[in-house]
Amino acid sequence: MFEREPNIDIVFRNGLKNLEVLPPADVWDNIPPMPVRHSRLRVISAIAAGVAALVSLSLLATWYVRNSSTPVLLSEAAAPGSDARVISFEIPGASPVTRPEEARISNLVSSAAASESEGQPAITLITDEPSVIIASADLTAPRELNEAPVKVLPDDITVIAAGRFAGPDEVLMASLPELPAGKAEQRFIVGASLSPAMGFSQAGQNGRLAELINSEKSRPAYSTGVSVGYKISDRLTIHSGIGLSSIGQTINDINVYAGLADFYAVKSNYLYSVETASGLILAGNTDLYLTDSKDRVGTLIQANMADPSKYLLKQVGSDIQQVFRYLELPVMLRYKFLDRKVDLNLSGGFAYGFLVDNSAYTGEGSDVVRVGHTEGVNTFNLSSQVGFGMEYSITQKVTFNLEPVFRYYVTPLSEISGSLYKPYSLGFYSGFFFKF
Amino acid sequence: MAKDKDIIDGCLSGSRRDQELLYRRYSPRLYAVCLQYSGNTEEARDVLQEGFIKIFENLSHFSHEGSFEGWMRRIIVNTALERYRNRYYLNRVDDIEGVSEPEAEPDTDDFAGLEAYDLLNMIMELPPKYRMVFNLYAIEGYSHKEIGEMMGISEGTSKSNLSRAREILQKKVMILTGVTRRMVNV
Repeated sequence: MFEREPNIDIVFRNGLKNLEVLPPADVWDNIPPMPVRHSRLRVISAIAAGVAALVSLSLLATWYVRNSSTPVLLSEAAAPGSDARVISFEIPGASPVTRPEEARISNLVSSAAASESEGQPAITLITDEPSVIIASADLTAPRELNEAPVKVLPDDITVIAAGRFAGPDEVLMASLPELPAGKAEQRFIVGASLSPAMGFSQAGQNGRLAELINSEKSRPAYSTGVSVGYKISDRLTIHSGIGLSSIGQTINDINVYAGLADFYAVKSNYLYSVETASGLILAGNTDLYLTDSKDRVGTLIQANMADPSKYLLKQVGSDIQQVFRYLELPVMLRYKFLDRKVDLNLSGGFAYGFLVDNSAYTGEGSDVVRVGHTEGVNTFNLSSQVGFGMEYSITQKVTFNLEPVFRYYVTPLSEISGSLYKPYSLGFYSGFFFKF
Repeated sequence: MAKDKDIIDGCLSGSRRDQELLYRRYSPRLYAVCLQYSGNTEEARDVLQEGFIKIFENLSHFSHEGSFEGWMRRIIVNTALERYRNRYYLNRVDDIEGVSEPEAEPDTDDFAGLEAYDLLNMIMELPPKYRMVFNLYAIEGYSHKEIGEMMGISEGTSKSNLSRAREILQKKVMILTGVTRRMVNV
């Protein structure tokens, strides 16, 4: 770094090294408050959360609009402040009814009218207490009910709420149309999942890459996110969403020492580099001295300038953790080949990943020391994945999924020395999903 | 004492208290740097003020890799350099090739009695162009090529400015310490 070290330079450098001079008191008063800035990761996370929230809200809005197309509910029809109460009706023998009430009740009313005209018993509304019916759109005023069961005339009633009717089964059964199953209406699926995973790598024909991979160990990885699905047919579903995945390696047998800055003052952005299968780690923390026995560590410190191995430094780690986090946008197709209480699925698709964190550190727990970052890592990747899943229906709307997934990175994580480094992983996705 | 990282996080979340804490912790050392580059207290306080505004504006870009103080120091030096370029850019000196270094120098032990304030004053008394080159080369460790790019001068000019700065400083040091014997004898 220094071409020559005349003594006068050293005198001034050392003499001024720790000089402190109190600045004038009014300098601070003229420094305005700094604007609040958010980190890139935080901004991206906020955007991701926003997108997920928007998607969820849109789907919920769609669901609400579809379901609110039925006639006004009895409770909503009641005038505020009136003592009107919702009357429950029950149709023995009929399956639980959600919609379309209009058609059913219209049929029911028609049947009731027909039955009454033919001298058969009329449908009877059963109520335990005096109540007010505001069941018909044709009614202009509430009608008082007595304690005795009340006959409901066909002209008075149109639709309003699912309820409890008492009447001849045959009449009711004959008059009620076959309703489509409720499940068929549940086309949207929203859920969250989490997957621990383990990564693997292969070096192919590249000897150096193989050497590097052998000196590394995959870190436990994970993938998590929210997913939104749309049921294309009874068996086929398309899924998308947003997630965060983390992968990385432990670079073994790199001895890391701290305290170099006390002996070696530099202006460089990094002093040491470590060659790994995923790229070159640049140790931006210039307080660290790195060394290994496998020729992976390089340095900008020339041998004739300084020898950090002779300094009194503190060892802070014996390996380096290399971590990459991606924001992912998956697109998956899921085919249900067994439709039971426990469904079985096959799935496949792609995930687009955007690098949001690239870090390397050493130490553990509270003693973690940041080393730097990895150069040459692609900021975008595309991975393909296939899975074999089990879906257990806890209720009609809530399911629990467990799905082993194999993932292969189509685009390389990084390019070093002309080698394409493409890891693969095996994970177990599990999570709860809500259908509507 | 609060850790730098906690103070930085506090600053980033908009805490004025943490900003002041950071200023109080580092301003004495950075003000010394400002004086070193500025030549007088008026200019130094302007550099410090401008530098701290930049530090706060760019704090979110600090990656926590390397020394935080070193990162701030670079901002201060760049601020001083920027002011120098704006003020002294027109006062160039011609390139002087083949400038030789002083042939003999006193040992560092001879200057052991020098106080830091004496050294600072000597640097502040240097002409601006010599002061900038000497600081960038001898204190910060930049090469002549880098200094040339930063100051908009040639490598040769940088070398000649450094040589002249050393010469002036050596004389001042020797006058102050009375170390003339070696120079005469060599």
